[in-house]
Amino acid sequence: MKQLSPPKWADKFLRWYCNPDLLEEIEGDIYEIFEREAAVDTQKARRRFIWNVLRFFRWANIKRTNSNYKANQMGLIKNYFTVGFRNLSKNWGISLINILGLSVAIGMGIAIFIFVDMQTHMDDFHSNRKNIYQLINHVKTENSTAMWADAPLLIGPDLVDKHAGVDNVVRVEFQYGNMRFGDNVFSELVSFVDPALLKVFDFPIKYGDVNALENKSYVVIGKNIAEKYFGQENPMGRDVSIKYSNGLIQNYTVGAVMDKTPDKASFSFEIMVPIDNFFDLKLEDHYDWSYATDAIFIEMKDGHQPQELEETFNGFVALQNQTSSKWPIEQFEMVPLSQLALRSFEIDGSISGAGHPAGRIGLSVVASMLVLLACFNYMNISVTAATRRLKEIAMRKVIGGNRRQIIYQFILENIILCTLALALGTVMSYYFFLPGLNTMIPITIPFEFSSFPMLIAFFGGLLLFIGLVSGAYPAFYVSKFQPTSIFRGNEKLGSKNVFSKILLGFQFFFAISTIIACFVFTDNAIYQAEKDWGYNPKGIISMPLVEASDFRALRDAANKNTSVLSYAGSNYHVARANKLTKAEVLDKEVKTYAFHVGENYMETMGFRLKEGRFFGDSKAADQSGSIIVTEMFVEKAGWGDAIGQQVTYDSTRYTVVGVVENFMCNAFYDEMLPSVFTAAPEEDFNYFVVKTAAGNEKGLDEYFASAWTGIAPNDPYNSKYQVDVFDYFFKENQGNIVIISFISGLAIVLACLGLFGLLGFSIQSRKKEFGIRKVLGADATQIIRIASKQYFWTILIAFLLGAPAGAFLITQMINAIYPDPKQTTALPFILAMGIVLVTTAVTVASQVTKATSVNPVQTLRSE
Amino acid sequence: MKGSYLGELEELILLTVGALFDEAYGVAVMDEIEKQTGRSMNVSAAHAVLRRLEEKGYVTSRMGGATNERGGRRKRYFTLTAVGKKALDESFAFRNELYKRIPKIAFNFSL
Repeated sequence: MKQLSPPKWADKFLRWYCNPDLLEEIEGDIYEIFEREAAVDTQKARRRFIWNVLRFFRWANIKRTNSNYKANQMGLIKNYFTVGFRNLSKNWGISLINILGLSVAIGMGIAIFIFVDMQTHMDDFHSNRKNIYQLINHVKTENSTAMWADAPLLIGPDLVDKHAGVDNVVRVEFQYGNMRFGDNVFSELVSFVDPALLKVFDFPIKYGDVNALENKSYVVIGKNIAEKYFGQENPMGRDVSIKYSNGLIQNYTVGAVMDKTPDKASFSFEIMVPIDNFFDLKLEDHYDWSYATDAIFIEMKDGHQPQELEETFNGFVALQNQTSSKWPIEQFEMVPLSQLALRSFEIDGSISGAGHPAGRIGLSVVASMLVLLACFNYMNISVTAATRRLKEIAMRKVIGGNRRQIIYQFILENIILCTLALALGTVMSYYFFLPGLNTMIPITIPFEFSSFPMLIAFFGGLLLFIGLVSGAYPAFYVSKFQPTSIFRGNEKLGSKNVFSKILLGFQFFFAISTIIACFVFTDNAIYQAEKDWGYNPKGIISMPLVEASDFRALRDAANKNTSVLSYAGSNYHVARANKLTKAEVLDKEVKTYAFHVGENYMETMGFRLKEGRFFGDSKAADQSGSIIVTEMFVEKAGWGDAIGQQVTYDSTRYTVVGVVENFMCNAFYDEMLPSVFTAAPEEDFNYFVVKTAAGNEKGLDEYFASAWTGIAPNDPYNSKYQVDVFDYFFKENQGNIVIISFISGLAIVLACLGLFGLLGFSIQSRKKEFGIRKVLGADATQIIRIASKQYFWTILIAFLLGAPAGAFLITQMINAIYPDPKQTTALPFILAMGIVLVTTAVTVASQVTKATSVNPVQTLRSE
Repeated sequence: MKGSYLGELEELILLTVGALFDEAYGVAVMDEIEKQTGRSMNVSAAHAVLRRLEEKGYVTSRMGGATNERGGRRKRYFTLTAVGKKALDESFAFRNELYKRIPKIAFNFSL
């Protein structure tokens, strides 16, 4: 016969929870029922057994600890506070360092968390966001599939009639146009949109209402545009005109003005006009399936899923593939609005810009590292501080405190300190870190969380994490000692603590690697800032032309101004408009930039001729057949002697007449490419370039600006100083340097604070030893050596590991970002190491002097 | 007096304890109730009520001797106390009194 036994785990569970006084009768009764039922149906009996065990799991039956302590609890907690506070004030200097270090790290952590939190919750102010999708195309190219935001224009609002689940379709077509109100003319990005846009999205409206776009002659402008053109006036009802690329001018009335775009918007539209106006422009004869507009949004009705549209879309794919064989769409995907910003990095031409996730991940990692470092610091100092409280712990134990109570005491103390640090960190983050971060990035991050539960979860989690991580180890460590060995003086806590050395080592490792990274990065940035551009950008101003006649008018204006040294026209312009193309050389293709330049362009820009000559004047015979190339082109083509070689470009054959030095067409993000120059006739010019003596730019710029208003009143004057063309890059570099220096500075400060605290305690507890040594004749150097020996090896190892690690990581990063980085030299390493050595030495010295200045008479007389 | 109030299930179990006399322990009480009233209850409920009755002083308990049943675990036997008897009497009298006050006409269902 089968052995009848109830499920073991249930019985164990019962024994675990049940009050021992009640266990026998309860277990007995359950067993009795089981035995009775098992005779009939074993399975049922077992189920019944489990059920009964669970039913007995009620408050009255659950084992509870003796409640005799309860009466005393408040007094004990009060005592914890008193003792904790006394300890704080006794070591107030180190406590302050401790809390400050933690607060700074927390403040930084909060700022970065808010940044990441915002980045992952973009666009959530649109109330219909759950139903809004953007139509994304998967387009198959030669060997890969890319995701594109551009979608066929013909998928329009008639989809609403075709499909019951679709509420609205909004197309967005971008065109540049020159918008004019009186004398204010600027080049603007105009969005031609379906009128439903304002209803689908919840962009805040200042004047007017969501129906404004129903009127074909209305334009809806953003707050910034309104201020730019109308200043403080109310723009409602004013008339503006926009001139488009084909020369057509359309007139609109301002029908609505948007309010400030929410900070969380990953996309917004500054100038909106109804899309019917776009068809009126007739940029193409007719629009078929091959024409892709910039974005299509589809709003589904409540309860309808995007999958319902799959069949319809398959039909569209077939239609599109028939007309557009070069750009075949494989499939459509409906990307929900909530994911749009997160996925924008992988979608080509996405209108939503939230940046690459690498930045967010990197920042989060750094923030967690810093918080962790600060926790280590805190832990280290807490352990060491606890060594001075061993007697207190022993007393508590002797009087009857158990280990758990001591752990509670230490963790409680810690959580209180951490709350303080958290509060301080929040204040720092609010007043300092977040505003600081905001000045470095183009967007503004408000000090707010995506949702209230998020805020609670974050602060609660942070407090618990820091409180436990920094408090748990000291608490468990010091509570374990036996009172007898403490009183006998056998416990030498802290002096041989391997764990605290590992933590300190880790701090220094992080500090050293970030400092090295900072210096290598800065070194590279300095190299980039100082790098010769290959021509002389000083005093050069360039301005884009719109009409062919603009060039002649500007030339006349230039001839009248005496401060103009030289001028030229060109088709494409170095650094402002580079034309990327291919040139054929014998059997090879060379990827190159091409510029078509007028008379004097090469001389005005100051390119340095290595061989041959520049173009002659416009009447010269070689006008059409000559080409000037850069040294890199010669190298890529594999020529020995460049002059006289043949280049085929744009199906025309050219002969090389000159070679110029390499020059920078792009900032350092892109690899350096060869360039070629050919001569171009006046009618082709789209840039006017003028050179003056350095320092005269401003006056000349104003002169041309006023001349321009007479030449082309419908087009904006959009000049740029050549020296400023890479400004965006240098600004970004500057921002990166600030961030990385701040992080490394913080890391080294935290590490040194840790060292300072540890050394301080160790010297404090060895004062008698130093006193005796002095009495016996030790001199200052010996004492310094003995006092600092303890942490010397830790820091040395951190150094040896941290330096190569930091160098490796930063060079990997620099190589990944810049195709043409500076060769790493020893200088940044030497500087970084010097800084770490000096700070470490100062830290050590400031503590060690305490050891050398010990007066033996004083220290030995005490007690 | 708070706590002296006798709930319906409590009264039922108190009566059962009295009826079973020397054999009233958790499972027996549960079985008896099921047999007499047809209502099934969980043994944990019987335990909870018995303990409550003991706290109120209506029953006392003692541990029985070990037997071969139920793995040698002892049973806790409950017996009625004088206070318990009084509570039952009061309850019975109260109900009887109320019953008696129902006019005859109320029982005339043929109307």
